[in-house]
Amino acid sequence: MTVSDAVKRDAPQARPARPKMSWAWLGVVPFFLFTFLFLLYPSSTIVIRSFQDSITHSFTFQNIVTLLHSRYLMQSYWISIELSLITAIGGGIFGFLLAYAAIRGSLPRFMAASLMTFSGVASNFAGVPLAFAFIALLSPTGLLIGWMRALGYNPYFHGFTLYTFTGLAIVYMYFQFPLMVLVIAPAIEGMRREWLEASENLGASSFQYWRYVALPILGPALLGTMILLFGNAFGAFATAQALTGGQINLVTIVIGSELRGDVLGNAGVGYALSLGMVVIMALAIIGYTVLQRRTERWLR
Amino acid sequence: MNTKKFTFQIITLLLVATFVLSACGTPAPDVAEGYTGTVVKSVPQDLVDACKKENMLTIIATPPDWANYGEIFADFQLTTGVKINSLDPNAGSADELAAIEANKGNTGPQAPDIVDVGYAYGATGIAAGNYMPYRVTTWDKIPDTLLGIPAKDPNGFWTGGYYGVMAILVNTAVVQNVPQNWLDLLKPEYKGQVALSGPATTSNQAIQIIYASALANGGSLDNAQPGLDFFNQLNMAGNFVPVVAKVGTVAQGATPIVPFWDYLAFGYRDSFAGNPPVQVVYPSPTIASMYVQAISAYAPHPNCAKVWMEILHSDEGQLAWMKGYAHGVQQADMEARGVIPADLQAKLPASSSYASAVAPSPAQLDAALALIKAGWMTTVGVAQSTVTPAPTP
Amino acid sequence: MKRGGKVWAWFIMFLGVLYFFLPLLATFIFSLKARLGELSFQAYINIFNSPQFMYNFLASVMWAVLTIIVGILLLVPTAFVIRLRVPQARSSVEFITLLPFVIPPIVYVFGLVRTYSQPPLLFVNSPFLLIAGYTILSMPYMYRSVDTGLRSIDVRTLTEAAQSLGAGWGTILFKVILPNIRTAILSGAFLSFAIVIGELILAQYLVKPAFAPYMAYVMQQKAFEPAAMAIVSFALTWLAMGIIQMVGRGRGAAQVGGGH
Repeated sequence: MTVSDAVKRDAPQARPARPKMSWAWLGVVPFFLFTFLFLLYPSSTIVIRSFQDSITHSFTFQNIVTLLHSRYLMQSYWISIELSLITAIGGGIFGFLLAYAAIRGSLPRFMAASLMTFSGVASNFAGVPLAFAFIALLSPTGLLIGWMRALGYNPYFHGFTLYTFTGLAIVYMYFQFPLMVLVIAPAIEGMRREWLEASENLGASSFQYWRYVALPILGPALLGTMILLFGNAFGAFATAQALTGGQINLVTIVIGSELRGDVLGNAGVGYALSLGMVVIMALAIIGYTVLQRRTERWLR
Repeated sequence: MNTKKFTFQIITLLLVATFVLSACGTPAPDVAEGYTGTVVKSVPQDLVDACKKENMLTIIATPPDWANYGEIFADFQLTTGVKINSLDPNAGSADELAAIEANKGNTGPQAPDIVDVGYAYGATGIAAGNYMPYRVTTWDKIPDTLLGIPAKDPNGFWTGGYYGVMAILVNTAVVQNVPQNWLDLLKPEYKGQVALSGPATTSNQAIQIIYASALANGGSLDNAQPGLDFFNQLNMAGNFVPVVAKVGTVAQGATPIVPFWDYLAFGYRDSFAGNPPVQVVYPSPTIASMYVQAISAYAPHPNCAKVWMEILHSDEGQLAWMKGYAHGVQQADMEARGVIPADLQAKLPASSSYASAVAPSPAQLDAALALIKAGWMTTVGVAQSTVTPAPTP
Repeated sequence: MKRGGKVWAWFIMFLGVLYFFLPLLATFIFSLKARLGELSFQAYINIFNSPQFMYNFLASVMWAVLTIIVGILLLVPTAFVIRLRVPQARSSVEFITLLPFVIPPIVYVFGLVRTYSQPPLLFVNSPFLLIAGYTILSMPYMYRSVDTGLRSIDVRTLTEAAQSLGAGWGTILFKVILPNIRTAILSGAFLSFAIVIGELILAQYLVKPAFAPYMAYVMQQKAFEPAAMAIVSFALTWLAMGIIQMVGRGRGAAQVGGGH
């Protein structure tokens, strides 16, 4: 009737009329319930026991204090973070290249499918069997070393050894590359050919295509997957333990030595270390979320 | 679209059906598979009957190949007709006690009835209230002390069952000149060949290897630090390989020289059957370590646990361990009674070859374990080898 | 550009194949050495003679399939709701999905056992607890895959289009969204499958038949059989993935926002 009524009637609604909020949050309730029952509550021992003395079970800050004051324990965090970061970035880059080559590199079609299924298997080929595979390949009596020696060159004479930080990173890639491949593949498939063709038509070089079209679009997905790779490496320990016997003190190995095994460790410190891992992961997620928000701005 | 979904469902059903069918065809794995046992008549019949009613025995951290435990499993199953439920054969002693505590109210198959733990865990378990006392009928045949340390808890909370002596397993296909002693391992010809059998911060065996090496490096049962120094030297010389040695890595050649408990080393030698050829060497001095067994205070099947303990300390049980090259605690008594078969006696290594074995007291052991565990990372862990290992022929 | 791209792609694939293939080859050749001085399949014969191998492997396959189903049912609606309606929940959900990485498995398992071994919550003997545990462990991968998949399609448009045609939420989720993130779900399914097959600690402490504990146990006493088992389980898992992919691909080419 009035102008304002007409405006109200014809103007697009900012929100639909029905009360969406309560309904929508219902959608995430199953998730929170499931994870509360089967993850958060059973794992709450981490928080509780971090503040308990291992023997008397009385409340104490001593575990945290010991942790923060121990150069060795704090160093274990750095080593883990370093290894995880390197394998996340390195694994992310080559994994992305592999996936892109298979999906968009005009290769025979079966290669993409085979790469996906192989990656499925390889992504979890870790621990003792993986360590053993690389030992069988690169130890002084290994297959590849044998071939090289037959050709007259012994890498071990020139300072090569598998059992170092670098060697461990190389071995870690075996499950990092496939993880990247698997998770980024849908994003690559979502890159429409029309975008590439359109940018070519407009005269863009390959570099410009990537810089202004492809990477901004893939950015959030790439980041998200790299945080997954980071977490994957951060929580791993069986491979490192089998290969280097705890000589490289990753925080997961240190936790294992306090909580498990034949010789009693300081369980309270072990739990405090685990709590520290949770904190670091939280910080990583905050960092990633910030980066995400910024890259997502390019999308809209 | 619907046919694909249908196919997916069919395949899932097929997989499930395959599993169910194969599960019906194959009963749950028998831990005593491949071992022959006998009925142990010395076990009191009322215990056997009570055990039959309980109808299960849950053990933990006990692989059948460890000191020929498989034969003892077979003995138990034949004597009682009850199946053994074996948990987590790879667990360590701390894991065993943790499993007891985590399953306090649980009478299901996750709760262990019996534990077989390293010597230090006898006292630990008592302090934590994890054990139930029980005196076997052959209690008096178990010596009070063996090698200078108590072989049974006076209140019956734990009993020593067998002990091992630290020896060195050498893959002779890779190593031409077999090292005879700890200090030999430092020789340049063994570059990149010496490994530990477990992580040095969690494995009882690995830590005791280091402890044993201390004895040869100027240390004593009271002073384990020279062991850490020895391995540091080994590492700086490039002889130490940080790989956790397993049967596979010994055979592959990546870890051709590994100290093991003698019963394990001889067991591996027998199972290799020449592929690869190996030798077991007793270094001098060396260390002996007793393993103790106890009944869980919360055992869901206490009578079966008691039958088990009876079998362990019967002649059949002790002989089974001895066939596995372990040294049964009742060996002296059995020799006196002449119950050890001559062929078994001939198979065992002469006791003179490990005459230098010494056993630490509980206090010495605790101190050494703590010292080595704490000192490993800061002594050997941080130092990286910068010397290139020589190739193996 | 296509020509150049092709060469470059072949090169990358070649490097990849080399890197992945050589360690497997080394393991395979070692597994053939079970008999002294000759190459033979003795280790493989030993494995297949043992009924425990197939029993444990098939048990793990079954757990894996069930875990994938539970994971999809739980996480696809969750990720969908978050992308569409409740972005505020995203950070906390992502944090939770990444927690399984940083909680040491032994802590997690003991926590599960303690929580569910006392009445009235006596679930510790139930296979459902094992599946719930596996779902939690594979959650980071499944969620990330699904999320990536949802990013690459226009969820809002698809949903509104379906709604305007009168579709209910169930139809939208399972007949519109799900088919469009097929690749993503497959990725997540592959990862979950591999995780369950390789998972060691949960199955050990919940006393359920599974492959990884069996393999760890054999590794303690045998030299050549573990290498053979690694190869066989690798091959069998790859086969299973191939089957999943075959039935999962379905229409494959006809995807919104995809297109080869």
